[in-house]
Amino acid sequence: MSHVLEIRGVSSGYGEAIILRDVSLTIAEGEIFALLGKNGMGKSTLLKTALGFLRARSGAIHLLGQDVTGREPYKVARLSLAYSPQEGALFQELTVEENLRLVQPAGRRLQAGIERISEYFPIIRQRLDQKAGTLSGGEQKMLIISRALLVEPHLILIDEISEGLQPSVIDRLADILRRERQRTGVSILLVEQNVTFALSVADRYAILKIGEIAAAGRVTGPETAASVHAHLRI
Amino acid sequence: MAEMSVTATGSRFARNRVFWVLGLACVSLAIIGAGPFLFDTYTVNILVRSFLYAATALTVDILWGYTGILTFGQSAFFGIGAYAAALTFTHFGFSTEMALLALVAGVAVSAAVAAIVGWISFWHGASSLYVAIVTLALPIIVVQLLYTGGTFTGSSSGLVGFEAFDLSVEAWFWITGSALVVLTVGGWFLVNSDFGRVLVALRENESRCTYLGINAPRLKILLMVVAAVIAALAGYGYASYTVVVAPEIASFVFGTELVIWVALGGRGTLIGPVLGTVAIDFISAYLSGNLPYVWKLIVGIIFVVVIVALPEGFLPVITRAGRWLSGCFRHAPKIVQSGSVALSLAEPPSTVGEGAGQPAVSVKSLGKRYGSSTILDGVDFTASGSEILSIVGPNGAGKTTLMRCLSSGTERSAGTVFFYGADIGRLPPYSVTALGVGRSFQTTSLFDTLTVAECLRLARFRLQRPAFWRRDQRLVLPPAAMRVVVATALDTQLTTEARHLSHGQKRALELAMVLALEPRVLFLDEPTAGLTKQERTLIGSILVDLTRREALCVLLIEHDLEFVREISTRILVLHQGKVLLDGSVQEVVESEIVRSIYAGHVKPETGETRL
Repeated sequence: MSHVLEIRGVSSGYGEAIILRDVSLTIAEGEIFALLGKNGMGKSTLLKTALGFLRARSGAIHLLGQDVTGREPYKVARLSLAYSPQEGALFQELTVEENLRLVQPAGRRLQAGIERISEYFPIIRQRLDQKAGTLSGGEQKMLIISRALLVEPHLILIDEISEGLQPSVIDRLADILRRERQRTGVSILLVEQNVTFALSVADRYAILKIGEIAAAGRVTGPETAASVHAHLRI
Repeated sequence: MAEMSVTATGSRFARNRVFWVLGLACVSLAIIGAGPFLFDTYTVNILVRSFLYAATALTVDILWGYTGILTFGQSAFFGIGAYAAALTFTHFGFSTEMALLALVAGVAVSAAVAAIVGWISFWHGASSLYVAIVTLALPIIVVQLLYTGGTFTGSSSGLVGFEAFDLSVEAWFWITGSALVVLTVGGWFLVNSDFGRVLVALRENESRCTYLGINAPRLKILLMVVAAVIAALAGYGYASYTVVVAPEIASFVFGTELVIWVALGGRGTLIGPVLGTVAIDFISAYLSGNLPYVWKLIVGIIFVVVIVALPEGFLPVITRAGRWLSGCFRHAPKIVQSGSVALSLAEPPSTVGEGAGQPAVSVKSLGKRYGSSTILDGVDFTASGSEILSIVGPNGAGKTTLMRCLSSGTERSAGTVFFYGADIGRLPPYSVTALGVGRSFQTTSLFDTLTVAECLRLARFRLQRPAFWRRDQRLVLPPAAMRVVVATALDTQLTTEARHLSHGQKRALELAMVLALEPRVLFLDEPTAGLTKQERTLIGSILVDLTRREALCVLLIEHDLEFVREISTRILVLHQGKVLLDGSVQEVVESEIVRSIYAGHVKPETGETRL
């Protein structure tokens, strides 16, 4: 099985501050991977470094079989991937449909995609002409997921998607991600605070602690949850 | 975590900067003192005018560079001051009394006009473009008035040859030069004081400021009035010195030139605009004789080149080059890291426990419509002091809109809202905050270039007025805010700028800021989103503690049902803009309808989502 994301010995940070130290991580094709950890441990920094928003001080990054180390983010984004940062992922002044059209030009494929996604989130079809900024916090998260799923990418990287979603939608989200993986073979990297949700959907996980991977492994069952919680407590 | 480690050197650095600035001021004063003996009369003559222009440019820099108020109208105030002198001296002759009268008239008229302009530009709901347009119109109006004044104002040819102060050119040079130095140093202390941080906060996120109880329109009007008075004084000096006034000095061309000089010198640096104005005016005076029309073209081209190549203006580039060369040249008045900050606890508020059992929040038939769609409809509920009322409901039910309608009187379309018996009517957010209401935001809404300590100090604005001339090294917080700050390790990052924080720490800072307001009624919109389980638990216990000990009333929007169950005294369920259920925790959690529309597979006995 080939790797869609391979991070080898990466260090990175802002200004004089080093946030990540020698982090290595791989995600296989069709795998759902959960990156866990407390606040300020470097989870979002890792995503930003992988996508070129931050330059890695050392190490190498491969995405979908290509060496993207030091590549400009807009060039990285041309690969078959979808990335949703934690803040400012949507264009607030554009409508729901326009936000979707940014990744898929108008046409039959957009219509088909909107139909498919509205099966998961009916509000997308109902609110196509509404400005994204007027959606509630949770509805905006649904739009973010929809946009990521729309173009059927090979890799999705999402930063804290469950924040602000109502419990029943979080439940549904786990089903949706698994079904999309089944259908298209997409790989997904989730950065999450909601451990219960993350472990309910992921195949493997890693815990970042002060810029280093403190623990990693396969999600097997309740014992995984117990060990993850133990790690997050200290 | 190894974040920016500036704390240790910060304080010493800040003190060094004060010495640097005062030292530089003394050197400047010495140069001005020696000026008439060093330069020829023509140079001295021109520099007096340049100094007066520079003082006006300084006010543009404080308004535009620091506070973000783009103004083209400072020329109008300069003109008002100048014409106050010229008209008085022409029509009533010159005497000490008349000089004083003209001064008072110029200051009073410009202050009144600035207050009116400020009110038009900044009233609640005005967009940030208003001020640019209004200040562009103002000089045009003033010039038209001067034109229509006939022989009284001298119309287009202005007034010439009136009698004024009997002072030598050297005396004028000393007076205007030292006034400029004093003004620049005063401006430096102002923008680097705690109050200066408030100005930056207004520029970065004015709406958040109003929810921290800061009367943003009033502060901006006040600033405009002060800037107008300084410009009028400069104009008064100009008329008295040159004994020539023409409508051009009040025109929007001059107003725009001031903006250009500020941009060329380095917006937001004070010294840049001052030196830039003096240099440009001085050189142009020399060159305009030799190259009368070409000179304007040259300035225009330089401006375009600078905007494209050096968008920050000359000064930041020069200081950066200087710093790069010497490594120790550090007096540039740029945004500074506030030094080390000492945390201390505030006295408990006098209102502690007053609200226990009283109706803290009372909402009657509240409605909100956007165009044809109804977001909230007939919402009724009350909450008493020492209660944690959680508001749950599906995404899009109107929860955040409800909080918006409660924290600002201008938001709702129907209904009434009372806090401890006080009707919020149509009060703006800062007045609602003054009633003791604190609101946190769902999407992080902070001040990017302010440090953690400065953000928290901003939240204390209402309780501890910031100083105009210095920066406080202490940060006084109430116990609840202190506990959040310490528990989330924000106390180790007090000098870190907010934009460098992780998302979770931003959320924690948001919460600490609201708690620092010492509210009696607290609105929290998903306060624990993005925080870990342990941090959530801790924040839950802080909230419970606050309601028990200080009889605070908390309204909480949360999706973490387990968290809601643990700390709430009551739960309100919103669905499609209406109150679906208002009951005890037990009633709501066991309700079949809540499970079907909202919770999904949550098991009531554990509250854990299924694995």
